[in-house]
Amino acid sequence: MNIEESKDFPVSTASLKEVRVFSREVFEKLKLEQDLKDELVLAIAEAAQNIVKHGYKDVENTNDRMEIKISLKDGDLEIGFFDKGKPVIPENIQHRKLDDIKPGGLGTFFIKQIMDDAVFKKDQQKWVNHLVLTKKI
Amino acid sequence: MSYKVTEEGNISTVYLNGEIDMDVTEKAKEVILPIVETGKEVHLNLKDVSYMDSSGISVLIESHQKALENNTKVVVKEVSKSVLKVIMMAKLEQILNLE
Repeated sequence: MNIEESKDFPVSTASLKEVRVFSREVFEKLKLEQDLKDELVLAIAEAAQNIVKHGYKDVENTNDRMEIKISLKDGDLEIGFFDKGKPVIPENIQHRKLDDIKPGGLGTFFIKQIMDDAVFKKDQQKWVNHLVLTKKI
Repeated sequence: MSYKVTEEGNISTVYLNGEIDMDVTEKAKEVILPIVETGKEVHLNLKDVSYMDSSGISVLIESHQKALENNTKVVVKEVSKSVLKVIMMAKLEQILNLE
């Protein structure tokens, strides 16, 4: 089954639940097994959280929205994240070492564990950042 | 997220319910950390927590570390399968006190 669905959300921690609901609804249609669905929803939620937490760091309130696009074509799952937050410098993104036990720094690690690839693309006029997560399923 | 706290002797049990994400971590910390700071043993019952992300994991780590500072411990109990998977992904099953 091929599918392409997109939805935008206010940039806010309160949107994270909506992001999960949207993701679960899409993966429900794809009839993925539960464990895979859970992992993919976690990866999407972590990426959305990174937008809110890092892309809009020190921004008290914003009316900006972020968009998430999930598409599956011939077994290639692609999840796009579009936002107008601070420009991401991919080289500066790093998760903490797992043996350095402290709160924080795990979201990016989870994304990398779950997905095959995570790439920031510079192909958008309308948006500032465009993150693409991919996985063969 | 909702919660309930019960006390028995020197053990306080915090029952968390729902999904633990960045939107509710401050609330979770406001419930858990003050109890840990009293030096009581805290049991976190997660049987009704259906989802936890890296923010929720941070709450578990912070609670665990705060307990060590206060010479007590936090025991994480009845972890649901989905949450256990996230704890294991973070390789914390040997660090946190899981029961």
